Amino acid sequence: VNTPDQRSVGELLLDADYTIRQVLMDAAGHDAPAMLRTWGEVVQSAAELWATLPPPLEGAPSPIDGATMARLEAMSQGMHHTQVRQGWPGNGPAHEPLLHVAETFTRAGDLVSARGGHIRPVDPAVRADLDAARVRIMHTLYLGAHSVSVATQQHVADVQASSRGKSDRQTRGVPRGQDAVHRLAAFEQLAGAYVGNRFALVGGGEQVRGPAGTQRLQQALVDWDLQAHRTLATAPTPANLHLASRTQAVIATTSASILRAGAATGHVDPEAYEQRLAPTLDATQQAWTHVAGRWAEMTSPADRTDTGLVHAAGELRAALREVAHDKTTWASPQVMAGRVDLGEVAQHLQQALSASVDVAAVVRDVAAHDPNLTGPARAMSHRAMSHRANADIDQTAGPGHHGADVAWVSPLDILANRIVPIPEPVRAGLVDATDTLVHSASNAMSAAAFLDHPTQDRPTTHGQEPATSLGRRPEGPTPKTQEAPRAPHP
Amino acid sequence: MTNTTNEPDQVDTLAAVAKLLHHAAFRAWEQAQAAGPRSPLHLLGLGIHVASCQAVSMLPAGTDLGGYPPTQDDVEQLLRAAAELAQDIPFWHGPVGISILVAAICDLVREVSA
Repeated sequence: VNTPDQRSVGELLLDADYTIRQVLMDAAGHDAPAMLRTWGEVVQSAAELWATLPPPLEGAPSPIDGATMARLEAMSQGMHHTQVRQGWPGNGPAHEPLLHVAETFTRAGDLVSARGGHIRPVDPAVRADLDAARVRIMHTLYLGAHSVSVATQQHVADVQASSRGKSDRQTRGVPRGQDAVHRLAAFEQLAGAYVGNRFALVGGGEQVRGPAGTQRLQQALVDWDLQAHRTLATAPTPANLHLASRTQAVIATTSASILRAGAATGHVDPEAYEQRLAPTLDATQQAWTHVAGRWAEMTSPADRTDTGLVHAAGELRAALREVAHDKTTWASPQVMAGRVDLGEVAQHLQQALSASVDVAAVVRDVAAHDPNLTGPARAMSHRAMSHRANADIDQTAGPGHHGADVAWVSPLDILANRIVPIPEPVRAGLVDATDTLVHSASNAMSAAAFLDHPTQDRPTTHGQEPATSLGRRPEGPTPKTQEAPRAPHP
Repeated sequence: MTNTTNEPDQVDTLAAVAKLLHHAAFRAWEQAQAAGPRSPLHLLGLGIHVASCQAVSMLPAGTDLGGYPPTQDDVEQLLRAAAELAQDIPFWHGPVGISILVAAICDLVREVSA
């Protein structure tokens, strides 16, 4: 004999939360067809539960209540209709954990209906519980959409990896899966706006599906550049400078990977890339990494980083990964070329490399002149002594020289590891490092000038190998990039 | 929901998550630097650091993240420990954006162990 479910609405929602977190942890490509088949039921049952909850009081300050769920339900129905029309993923078993979530929502909806969901409670505590229930439903949908999207992306990658020699029917999961991923991304963005409290986006009824591929990368690079300048102009803290430097290093690393793929597939002049650009990209990457390490020494783990900068860095990283990454390493040149027009991306990267010279100059300016730079006493004392020792090896002490026996940080500050103004040798080390950075970033910019001109025999279709000899020499004089990169100080 | 959490248990858990992510990012960068300027680990390190910044932003100002370093030394182990801890933070009383952080950490685990 089955015992009736005695759980409360709160307990049921907790169960849905728990289950969806497990789904997220376990999401895998082979589950994607079953997840896509079941996802619509989850959304529908969530929408039905949402509809049973007593509506907000008149004038409740929530511009997105109702509207968001209605849009999510419409999106899900649209996906379902497409799946039926395309016959993909077709009939088959449901995804049991997602089905459990759907059934849990349905059970919760039945409970609310039975207890009078039409009544509008005025007790603030009850209203707070209702708000919490809505948030929990939306959290579950957000994580659920993300899980289905992750599994579908993996499924698409798996099918692509094993698609050689297979029929169109066997590989139809690729374009249909990609379409599902785009639609789930829009769903996720909308639900994420609710749980992330970005009311303006949702309340404004904006189109939520953002650009993808080349467009996304271009937008992310531009947004990053603007945000980096904005943040460093108003809050040049070590934490912000650290994130900015790490992100710039990643731009250099990923540029090298993408441009190498461009060279291998005929979108970029391979000789100009290998002989001139690649060494300067490596040098600027190392210079940014070195500078990032210096800023990191001046931070503590609890230091806050500007949220706008964090968001821009996260979006840029996601856009770079979308083009260049595959599982745990770089995607092959052919895979990258199948994702985007590498010639077009090369031009966006060329602009980013130019913009990075100015970011480097801003960073150097902060290092040289900002009077408010501080750091933890122990790290500052250690760095001051290290820099002084290097300077002593480099040159004979002159007038005004402070020997290694000078205490740059007071022992009491070191004992308590207080935050102290950066000592003179630390600033001198920063200035050295950022001078090297500006120099190497300028070299990379000059060496990247040829990317303005696409190769003459560039393939017209993504992923095609060049049929003839690759590329051409850039027009005009050779950029002055031949100086050996300066090694950063240790 | 608020932008930061003040529940003592949640603060402790989220602080532990932030600390694990902080160490994971630095371990990833150490490995990236050893592997050279073209290593994809630079990209991984940035992703972990971004998640770490997000976790710190949800903590009350001045939360102490010092003390002993985590016992884990491997990037994947550190990320898995952070993911498991983050699963314990309730959504409805948690700070705004906690589910986005949970999803981000799970993605990083997947990225490092794929």
